[in-house]
Amino acid sequence: MKVLVPVKRVVDANVKVRVKPDNSGVDLNNVKMAVNPFCEIAIEEAVRLKEAGSASEVIAVSVGAGNCQEQLRTCLALGADRAILVETDVDPQPLGIAKALAALQEKEGAELVIFGKQSIDGDNAQTGQMFAALTGMSQATFASEVKVGDGKLEVTREIDGGLQTLSIKLPAVVTTDLRLNEPRYASLPNIMKAKKKPLDVISPADLGVDLTPTVEVLSVEPPAEREAGIIVETVEELVDKLKNEAKVIS
Amino acid sequence: MDLSLTEEQELIVGNVRRFVREEIVPRELNLDPDADELPPDDKAALVDKTRAMGLYGLDIPVEYGGPDIDLVTRTLIAMEMSQHRAGLYAPCYGTFGGAGLAQLFEATEAQKEKYLYPTLRGEKRGFFGLTEPSGGSDPARAIQTRAVRDGGEWIINGGKIFISGADRAQYGLVFARTSPDKGRNGVTCFIVDTDTPGFKVQRVVHTLRSAHYATELTFTDMRVPHANILGAENRGFAIANDRLSRQRIPYAAGCIGVAIKAHEMALEYVPDRETFGAPLSTRQAVQWMLVDNEIDIRQARWLTLDAAHRAQQGLDFRKEAAMAKLVATEAASRVVDRCMQMFGGYGVTKDFPFERWYREMRIRRIGEGPSEVQRHIIARDLLGAGLR
Ligand SMILES: Cc1cc2nc3c(=O)[nH]c(=O)nc-3n(C[C@H](O)[C@H](O)[C@H](O)COP(=O)(O)OP(=O)(O)OC[C@H]3O[C@@H](n4cnc5c(N)ncnc54)[C@H](O)[C@@H]3O)c2cc1C
Repeated sequence: MKVLVPVKRVVDANVKVRVKPDNSGVDLNNVKMAVNPFCEIAIEEAVRLKEAGSASEVIAVSVGAGNCQEQLRTCLALGADRAILVETDVDPQPLGIAKALAALQEKEGAELVIFGKQSIDGDNAQTGQMFAALTGMSQATFASEVKVGDGKLEVTREIDGGLQTLSIKLPAVVTTDLRLNEPRYASLPNIMKAKKKPLDVISPADLGVDLTPTVEVLSVEPPAEREAGIIVETVEELVDKLKNEAKVIS
Repeated sequence: MDLSLTEEQELIVGNVRRFVREEIVPRELNLDPDADELPPDDKAALVDKTRAMGLYGLDIPVEYGGPDIDLVTRTLIAMEMSQHRAGLYAPCYGTFGGAGLAQLFEATEAQKEKYLYPTLRGEKRGFFGLTEPSGGSDPARAIQTRAVRDGGEWIINGGKIFISGADRAQYGLVFARTSPDKGRNGVTCFIVDTDTPGFKVQRVVHTLRSAHYATELTFTDMRVPHANILGAENRGFAIANDRLSRQRIPYAAGCIGVAIKAHEMALEYVPDRETFGAPLSTRQAVQWMLVDNEIDIRQARWLTLDAAHRAQQGLDFRKEAAMAKLVATEAASRVVDRCMQMFGGYGVTKDFPFERWYREMRIRRIGEGPSEVQRHIIARDLLGAGLR
């Protein structure tokens, strides 16, 4: 089973981001970048499938600028077999990315495509679903457990109030939730091997897709600052405030 | 000349950085602010991770089973490992493996069996006993501890001061004078078991360091077998000198790591903290502190990597290591001090790591040879024969 794992380069989750003064976006100057944490979980899942003998090849793919190669190398060090960068100067949006990946899937014919459920920059949570629609593949989103069966997958999803288990036919699209697995640290020998693994760079034109954004960002604003809380002395005071100030109980 | 990191170095350093942030820092928040050890279960779980990463035993040479990475990369790693509260003297709480005393790699096979291998396996700890009350800057001249031969044994009398961790060690290296009239060529290095009769940890010497106590030792008619000489009789100083030079590189790197972290915390803090109606980040006085931090860190970093690079190439690096040690310890001291200033009252509380860094960093300008001694080494090298 060939497994394709799309990954995104995003601001490192440890970085405290700031909105640019002109509200055009987030300031990325001097900021450390990393593999989107949900995509890291996707890579980990694919590598585990390979180690378990269910997957034959793991391919990491990214759509973005040339520096996304750094994140693809990380994926190779984590155990992916090869990597593909669809290089573009435009800041790609979910639909464009899904189209590029769908065109790539046409060539690669992967049986399983594992996406992160969302990337922590735009928090769109759309790309996997759009890709499934474009390719007509079955999909199971927000997976917290994946079991490979004969020609199908059993996927557990975390939903409000419980767990849902789906059985879907391969070829399939899965998007990962946070609790699917705990990604490993790349080992020294695998880091040393990563450089020798193939990393192909292709252009959107090679795939016949146009990545021109279809959504225009008008303004990016930081979330409103929370007002400082207070410490109440007694339960009576708390009940009084909930009743009369917050008006959440009556 | 390419000064950028290789892809491999980026990945290794990124791994260690993630380990410090995700494994060490959250656990450290639950420890006493002066702690220098993790609870044993936590430590064992983390050692499993560093082993899986292939980075366990970082201070062990490749031929003894250490990871196959060069000195420059090791130095880069050391700059990451200290980026937490206890990082200066307990980097990652030892989860990357215990450091063997470097001199033991020069030991005989029998000595290695008894002392080196158990240390690398984490079963024994050793101390390095050079400094005496008579002076540590110029130990070749100052050493007064005497060793006198008696058949197959040596009888050692004297004492040491400021010896780190001797209270928790099973053995140590003790430098003693064996030929009184031969100066630096009259000092021998003995491997001494701490349960030898006549060996005594006189007291713990409390300093402003929280981690890894210094101790005062006394030796009274302590009998040590001739077979416990490390290297050759009267050649102990060659061993000490080599270790001191080599040690200066990771010593500098540890300081730089702390400075990097302190600077990063300040950069995050000042845009949010307002005084007189505007964020601290808008004040030139604050901006210049940040600029000076950045420059201090960069120069220390390049000098230290240069020393590591030369040592890796097999070139002479004594002067470079001295420069790295001198500049890194002084620069990092300034950086921590400035960051503390920017954090105001919070900077000196135990809620933040600055106060521990501030205290422990002060030792770094004295330990492993004070700043003045580093300058003395550099001057001697520059003047050479011109210094009569
Ligand atoms: C916490 C701690 C842990 C230590 N751990 C160990 C250990 O494990 N093993 C070990 O062997 N030692 C250890 N030391 C000892 C340390 O290496 C010595 O303190 C150091 O070398 C200085 O020696 P000294 O204290 O005797 O100072 P001195 O030699 O008396 O020097 C005092 C001062 O004189 C100045 N000075 C010296 N020489 C010159 C010169 N030529 N020109 C101008 N000025 C000069 C310097 O400012 C120096 O600080 C430790 C020290 C401390 C504080």
